[in-house]
Amino acid sequence: MTRPGGAPDRVPAGAPDGVPAGLPGGVPDGVSPTWGVRGLTVWFGAHAALRDVTLEVPAGQVTGVVGGDGAGKTTLLRILAGAAAPDAGEVRRPPAEQTGYLAASSGTYPDLSVDENLAFAAAGYGMPGKLAAARASQLLERTGLAAARQRLAGKLSGGMRQKLGVVRAMLHRPRLLVLDEPTTGVDPVSRADLWWLIARAAAEGAAVVLTTTYIDEAERAASVLVLEDGDALAQGKPEEIIASVPGTIKISPERLRGDAARRAWRRAGTWRVWVPPGYDGGADGTAGGEGAADCVTPDLQDAVIVAALARELWAGEPS
Amino acid sequence: MWAMIVKEFRQLRRDRRTLAMMIFLPVLLLIIFGYAARFDVKTIAATVVGPQARTVAAALRPPFDATKIAPAENRADAVAALRDGRTPVAFVTGAGQTTALLDGSQLFTATAAKTALAEMSRGQAEPAGAGQAAGAAQTAQPFSMRVEVLYNPLLKTSDIMVPGLAGLILLFVGMVITSLGVVRERQAGTLEQLAVMPLRPRDVFLGKIAPYFLVAAVDLAIVVTLGVWLFAVPFRGSVLVFALGALLFLFVTLGMGVLISSVSQTQGQAIQLAIMVMLPQIMLSGLIFPLSSMAAGVRWIGYLLPLTYFTQITRGVMLRGAPIASLWQPFAYLALIGIVVTALATLRFRKFLAPSPRRRVRPTQPAETAMAGAEQ
Amino acid sequence: MTELLAQSIGATRVFGHIAAVSDVDLQVAPGEVVGLLGANGAGKTTLIRMLLGLLPPSAGEVRLFGQLPSLATRRRLGYVPQGLGLYDDLTPRENMSFAAAAFGGAGGERGAPGRHRPRPAGLAKRGVPGGQRPRFPGLAKRRAPGGRLPGLAPLPPGLESMSKITVGRLPLGVQRRIAFAQALAHRPDLLVLDEPTSGVDPLAGARLWETIGDAAAAGAGVLVTTHHMDEAQECERLVVMAEGRVVAEGDVAAIVGSARVTVVETPDWSGAFEAIERAGSAAALVGRTLRVPAASPEEVKRMVGAVPARVYEAAATLEERFLQLTLPAAGAGAGAGGGAGQAH
Repeated sequence: MTRPGGAPDRVPAGAPDGVPAGLPGGVPDGVSPTWGVRGLTVWFGAHAALRDVTLEVPAGQVTGVVGGDGAGKTTLLRILAGAAAPDAGEVRRPPAEQTGYLAASSGTYPDLSVDENLAFAAAGYGMPGKLAAARASQLLERTGLAAARQRLAGKLSGGMRQKLGVVRAMLHRPRLLVLDEPTTGVDPVSRADLWWLIARAAAEGAAVVLTTTYIDEAERAASVLVLEDGDALAQGKPEEIIASVPGTIKISPERLRGDAARRAWRRAGTWRVWVPPGYDGGADGTAGGEGAADCVTPDLQDAVIVAALARELWAGEPS
Repeated sequence: MWAMIVKEFRQLRRDRRTLAMMIFLPVLLLIIFGYAARFDVKTIAATVVGPQARTVAAALRPPFDATKIAPAENRADAVAALRDGRTPVAFVTGAGQTTALLDGSQLFTATAAKTALAEMSRGQAEPAGAGQAAGAAQTAQPFSMRVEVLYNPLLKTSDIMVPGLAGLILLFVGMVITSLGVVRERQAGTLEQLAVMPLRPRDVFLGKIAPYFLVAAVDLAIVVTLGVWLFAVPFRGSVLVFALGALLFLFVTLGMGVLISSVSQTQGQAIQLAIMVMLPQIMLSGLIFPLSSMAAGVRWIGYLLPLTYFTQITRGVMLRGAPIASLWQPFAYLALIGIVVTALATLRFRKFLAPSPRRRVRPTQPAETAMAGAEQ
Repeated sequence: MTELLAQSIGATRVFGHIAAVSDVDLQVAPGEVVGLLGANGAGKTTLIRMLLGLLPPSAGEVRLFGQLPSLATRRRLGYVPQGLGLYDDLTPRENMSFAAAAFGGAGGERGAPGRHRPRPAGLAKRGVPGGQRPRFPGLAKRRAPGGRLPGLAPLPPGLESMSKITVGRLPLGVQRRIAFAQALAHRPDLLVLDEPTSGVDPLAGARLWETIGDAAAAGAGVLVTTHHMDEAQECERLVVMAEGRVVAEGDVAAIVGSARVTVVETPDWSGAFEAIERAGSAAALVGRTLRVPAASPEEVKRMVGAVPARVYEAAATLEERFLQLTLPAAGAGAGAGGGAGQAH
């Protein structure tokens, strides 16, 4: 269920600062637009950073974009945030004042203090001083940054700097919050705080989109887009992606040989091998129907690996 | 250890900027010292005024070159010519002794003129040679002349250096520090954040350079004040004219700073480039070595450099009290260079902040990798 | 009796008044993959530096290959730091040849024939007959056919086309493979890896773990430091550190034990979220459900009050258990540093 985040005069419960979502220039009552892209293609010279990608970013929930380095995640987010323009396709996003963005490279000024960084952001987005201060205090307090307000951002640990970056991006209650790898390299405690901020933003009605390279994080999102080399590898709710895994996955205690080796990967000390539907294996012992004892219920990581394998081994065929 | 050496060489080979500096710099220095670093003055243009102008002019020998003979003009006109920088030397002829007026703000020319005049008057003590007309004895008079050095009577080096240093400081602050300031933004990744905020590129650009503007202006005031106070350098001209010149010059240097930053990925690179651009200006702008002494093949470089013109302005205003009208040329050049540089800098800046316009899907187009997040 | 590759006994290290590491016992035996799991500031880095010989312990003992860490023992070590330790402006080959030369000639087998290379000291001590180094099946497979130049180590397979590109311009996954190959080139007995698969997609990560597994199967010991659960779960054995101490040890199941969290399922998750916040507890958002570590189902039911929700108990994930272990036992609620986890 999507939570409408568009009505400017509706204050979500528990928001003590009373700041309506979407500062100046709100959306007409009752309309809750969905931001996103459709058929997005971006070229860098001869190299396609994104190829025909479609993604919806609904308000009031977290959308995750997952993929390895070079998959196109940052490009996609830059387009959503308005820092770049597409070569083909459609982008639906709110105006700059209602967008919050955290670039992959921190986005905070290392030689300004925490407070000064937030003051600049507030001013830049046209947020009244007192309002900004109150909201900043609340967010900083809750994520353990209150004691470090006077510290220079460059002197903060990685986790604290990322938290500052997210606070900065959501300070002005944007309708669309775009976070590029907010939790990469961050220790688990700070990660928990970051996810609190993310949850908070979504609870306030923002459409949150974030990127990550970690599958277990992607699982926390309400819907996920898996990118590889600019293509959408898989898409949908985590459970949908898992359900759409074709064939089965079997466990083998030993390393596999021959053809099966190309469909196998190592996971937690054992090997998993993907058996595509209708495959009859033969001698490598990986054949066997659904009910076989060594079948395993896939999780999102398995599903993504299978999608990647399918792409690698059967390039061009739909998986 | 050998492995270390091999590795360093391989890395150096790829570091084009450092290589350029290591190769470009020695070549530049050689050119400069070869062709530009001369203090000797070969020709001295001279204006001759007063009733005896023609006679005196005819009697002038190299290094003097009587470029203007104006019997109708008087001393006041000659002084004005010097003050306006139209000529370095003027001879004022009249009923009595001829007076040679030398422009002390052109130190080397004045010194050379003084020496030449001293030699000439010594030479006159000898009897005229056989080929001389009988009237030569009577015309011995013109060369026992009075020498008056205007605008820097003691021919102090500090008097001409301090105005030049003013320009140097503005150059440094303008270029190096501005370029660092902008590169820092790129390095910290915050430039992208700015691109997404509802800020106009113009606001970002102006807001970025305004503080440097102020700092440079304050710097300049300090340097000039100190120079005047500590070294007793005069300030004879209009402060407003000086300030206007400084303003124009700052626009140029700040714009150059932003341009440098737009082609540098790191602060180290920015400094390297700034040094490479600054060094020729120090050497070839007439700050140390007079332009007139440089070989023509090298002198043209000096005429391209903004510092050359600013030095003309500072020396003119401070030492000679020159009015703005006489300095129209350097002002004009500075304004022109300023416009070009600012326009280029704004354009480059805009590219960083505004999303790139829709490109047609042409796989052969060169990649816009500078800020396009190609790392991901 | 197999020699322990790395060992610390009651290792302690203080900086001024702060004990970065307190009384830590750690062992890595040949063939093991041990994960060192901890938040920033937990002491992982300091402990690793002590093991590598970069920092002496203030108290306790640290042993590398049975002796005090020294230059000789370095040769038996392969280390891939988080920054990968590659020179961005050199090609992969150039990087590997530099590393090979630095480590004393890639185990002695490669390099220009006829040039005498001293065998690393560790060989003599190993007591393995004939001083034969164990073969690394994974590495052997990856020898590029015909891709060798005298004095240069071979590249991992599939990278020949990239041999002219400087490392800085290669994608991260490829960089990692090169860093791995570099660390493995001199056949180390102990591998120390800092977050080996961060930033790469799951398939590439799985392939990297294959390489790590192969190294372990061939007899090397592997110590992985991480603060990510995905990586932690690939290790046979985990050592969890917090504030300089070991707070848990064992495999994943042993560490999670019987820790439980309360799960809240409701269409109005944001309402429930706010309600739980107001009540002073912390809820973590997962998809559209909330997980509350610090309160029992009854308590949570009370907190959400009127919001219609399904509230039940479930097993904690490794991450939740980790947070429980590492956060100080402050009172439940939104205090400074409060996150989704609270110690019981």
